[in-house]
This record gives sequence, structure tokens and C-alpha cells, in this order.
Amino acid sequence: MSLSPFLRTPMTDLTGGLISHQLMGRCEKQEMRFMDCMEAYGMERGQVKCKALFEEFHECHTLTKQFKRFYALRTERERQISEGKLVGDQKYISPKVDSF
Amino acid sequence: MDCAVARKQDLPPPGGYRPIPYKRIPAKQYFSGYAMFAGFIGMTTGALYLQYLTYKQIKKHEIEMRSAKMAIYPMLLAERDREYLKQLRRNRDAEAELMKDVPGWEVGTYYGEKVYKLLPNDTLVEPIFHEYYAHTDPKEWYKRAYIKLMS
Repeated sequence: MSLSPFLRTPMTDLTGGLISHQLMGRCEKQEMRFMDCMEAYGMERGQVKCKALFEEFHECHTLTKQFKRFYALRTERERQISEGKLVGDQKYISPKVDSF
Repeated sequence: MDCAVARKQDLPPPGGYRPIPYKRIPAKQYFSGYAMFAGFIGMTTGALYLQYLTYKQIKKHEIEMRSAKMAIYPMLLAERDREYLKQLRRNRDAEAELMKDVPGWEVGTYYGEKVYKLLPNDTLVEPIFHEYYAHTDPKEWYKRAYIKLMS
């Protein structure tokens, strides 16, 4: 993703394509859809119209919501263990070692 | 004086000392030079032939092993994927069981908020490492975390 709508110099034009998900990146699709949308609507209207697409791309790039989900699950599990609700085998559910 | 006793001087035995044996005695020669060269060449040739046979055998075994690995690779991959999907279901059930008393929580979301809002409901969103190992015993976590989070 380039800086060019905010800051545009010959250097950003030259190097804008280098850092992106487009070279076999993980979020290739989301980024392309978002950038297409921004190109169609421009900077001002794009911020409103492409909000959903931006959120998709942002989540794919940063994985924040998934990490927050993990944090919530983990704290809840620790809380229930410390309260004594989960005991013995019910404490944890472990995956097999090579499955991820 | 004290030196009245008769003294005997050290002298060579009668007839003189025996001659000093300084003459070289060479070791017994079993092979001539030519025979030794011939032996070296013969033994090397034999050894090279044996090595050729063994090398062929080893290469054959390597090919055999590689073929076997390639043959079972799809099955191992499939088994891993199967275990992965099964674990996703187990995680989902564990999440439902764990968060049933938490207000506003729906399974697969963050307090009712979908992770990817535009995706259809039945799309598989692959979990990150933390999510996959969210319900794990810390021991199992540490077995895997250093491999998975550093790579």
C-alpha cells in the first residue's frame, strides 16, 4: 500500500509498488478491492464508500480482531480455571502437535 | 704410606676387543618393487569394483526411499488437513461451551462482531496460531509456539 494519496513525490511514485500484498501476498484480494474502490471514488468519498472494504483489508493485514478473540477466550478460560469451574480434563483442549 | 697394596689397572682382554658389528643387516625382502606396484594396482582395482557395486546399491536404496516418501506424502498431507479441520470443530465446540455465560458473545465472532464482515456466513476463516491454540494447555503451546511464531 502506497502513501501516494497523502504524500506524492517522484520517489513515492517509483517505490509505491514495492511494499504491497500484490506480489503473492496474503491479502492480495482484499487490498486490490480496496484500492480499486479508492481509485473509483477518490480520497474524500472513498473514505466513506470504501469503509467496509478498508476494514476487511485492515483485518487481513493486522489480524487484530482474531488476536482480540484469542485474548478474550484465553482470559475467560483462565478466569474459569482460577474460579474452579473447570477441573481436571476439562481445563484445556489441546490439538495434536502437527496439525497446524 | 697407604698405597702399599698392589693395584691392577683396567686393560683390554688378552687378544684385544672383539670387532664392533657396524655392518648393515637388511630386512628380508618378500616382494620386489614391481610386484608391489602390481599388488597396489590389483587391490585398488578390486576395491573400486566393490565400491561401484555398493554405490549402485546405495543409490538404489535412496531412490526407493524417495519414491516411498513421495508416495505417502499426499496421504500425510490429507491426514494433517483432516486433523486440522477436526480440531477447528473441537475449538468451536470448546468456545461455545466456554463462552456460554458471557453476554453478547457469539461463536466465531468478537462479542457479536464478525471478523470479516463481507464474507458469506459459511466461509472458512482460517485461525491464526493464537486462536488455534487458544484452549490449549500451556505445555502444548510452548511445544509449538517457537516453531510457529518465529517462522
